[in-house]
Amino acid sequence: MSQLDILLILLRVAFGAFVPLCFIAVLVWLERRGAAFFQDRAGPNRCNVFGFRAGGIVQNLADAVKLIFKEDVIPGHSQHKFYFVLAPLIVFVCALVSFAVVPFADTLVIDGKGYVMQGIPMSLGILWFLAIAGFSVYGIILAGWSSHNKFGVLGGLRASAQVISYEIPMGLAIVSLLTVYGTINLNEIAHFQGQLLFGFIPMWGVVLQPLGALIFIVAAFAETNRTPFDLAEGESELVAGFHVEYSSMKFALFFMGEYVAMFVSSALIVTLFFGGYQIPWLSTETLLANANAVTIGLIIFIPLASAIFTAWMRKNNRSHYNRPKDPRVREANVYTVILWMMVALIEAVLIGYMLNTTGVADRVLVVLLQIVTFLVKTFMMCFVYVWVRWTLPRFRYDQLQKLGWKMLLPLALLNIFITSAVVVALS
Amino acid sequence: MSITTKVVERKGTSFLEKIFLFEIFKGMCVTFGHFWTNLLDNSKLYVRHYPEVNPEITPRWRGRHRLTTHEDGTIKCVACFMCQTNCPARCITIEAGERFDGKSEKVPVSFNIDLLECIYCGYCVEACPMDAIRMDTGIFSVTTYDRESVFAGIDDLLASKGAFDEEEYKKGSV
Repeated sequence: MSQLDILLILLRVAFGAFVPLCFIAVLVWLERRGAAFFQDRAGPNRCNVFGFRAGGIVQNLADAVKLIFKEDVIPGHSQHKFYFVLAPLIVFVCALVSFAVVPFADTLVIDGKGYVMQGIPMSLGILWFLAIAGFSVYGIILAGWSSHNKFGVLGGLRASAQVISYEIPMGLAIVSLLTVYGTINLNEIAHFQGQLLFGFIPMWGVVLQPLGALIFIVAAFAETNRTPFDLAEGESELVAGFHVEYSSMKFALFFMGEYVAMFVSSALIVTLFFGGYQIPWLSTETLLANANAVTIGLIIFIPLASAIFTAWMRKNNRSHYNRPKDPRVREANVYTVILWMMVALIEAVLIGYMLNTTGVADRVLVVLLQIVTFLVKTFMMCFVYVWVRWTLPRFRYDQLQKLGWKMLLPLALLNIFITSAVVVALS
Repeated sequence: MSITTKVVERKGTSFLEKIFLFEIFKGMCVTFGHFWTNLLDNSKLYVRHYPEVNPEITPRWRGRHRLTTHEDGTIKCVACFMCQTNCPARCITIEAGERFDGKSEKVPVSFNIDLLECIYCGYCVEACPMDAIRMDTGIFSVTTYDRESVFAGIDDLLASKGAFDEEEYKKGSV
């Protein structure tokens, strides 16, 4: 193994491990701010470090400090202390590990050697996700059972029944999807979606499989135990459901596990149905062939986007009441300076790259672009999660089962028949 | 006399409503509209920036109590015990003494209100024949660091001022 190999392995594993972790902070912030704006509130706007609130992200630091310093209670009546401690670990680790197979960029070719841009470069793809996602429900059941609490047990039972019901439509939706793609390798699936349908529509999964996409997204919501399927922790009837006895960092692990699961399933939805890392109409080959044009486009686009962002920030980041020497205006000034310094740096790098271009640099640029595309798409899918959470009320338990067994399951089966017929007819 | 009936239209029976999707989409459009307007311009949020921006309190609003005075600064209260008797929460404790300035026969020596017990019903204000106790200070937040300072004594009650002018208060109290 050369040094480059080792470096790339480290980079990929780091990406697979740290990006979901960083996204926890972003998603918690998104949830709070999103919830606030959906309900005409302001959201987190007080917490600050020397007056800098970073749009509310600093609130997460306060949360972390609170959760770390809280007392870690293990209930004395629990007979199974080992499982009690194990449960949050299972939930969190399963959520984190299932991201390992999601490709975040097209295969990077350096000196004729391909590097698959996944945390674990293997071709199991979607099967790995199904296996791990099915495993993470053990954590929830174990948590409910070992905390020896009736609310906990009820929450765990509900979670298991729900996941079992929704795993079937989800699996069937994937079956019809695999019939179309003809592969289980997520990188190949994402690559497939770089083609164009009839020459002008991006051949994304959602275009080829609209029904499958719908079923999969609904089932993914149920798998992550998010509203409208969050019966497992229904506050109004089960207090907190399966994590009712957990405190401190054990609770935080459940909490973070939920957000990691949300990120991972968003990433998977994006990979399966929304083109993965593909930029619409610009496949990897097109990007590589026109690297210079793309760079010029970026050099123009980045300052434009920053100018719009700055205008928006300066308009909104001020106090809406009388305040002498408004500290929020000063805060916005500092952010503006930092932002434009970063823009200047990126511009310098891009122009420097334009002047002495080489083959490898083109490829790295394309990979970076695709990573950004992938993260933006995933972020938007996460926003849909938040959006749905603050729009739809929770299902009743029988409605949930009815939807799973009587609607999604027949629809998924129908979808398989139609898809197979079309695939057979076309081949 | 015939009974007027109103036929309530049952929602959720048409096919479009039964498959949820269309209605969910409509609902999500509504919430996204709110999100988008607030994202573009956050100055029109309904929520008040509370500690800095206080709510507007009308004269009829029942806040912390105060004891009123005559124009020469002497206390109006005649220690008739009407408020104490009328108080459903039994938070008022009055101790009466003799009055020597000729305004009346009695005067409260001590007048204590336990603000933790008080339910802010305003019966004391209505019971008072002398208009001596009022709840027009506009103080709605009674929070302290220790238990002792929530017991309002006669000095506290006399010291706090009304938040509204006489005319407005009279208009509100009718």
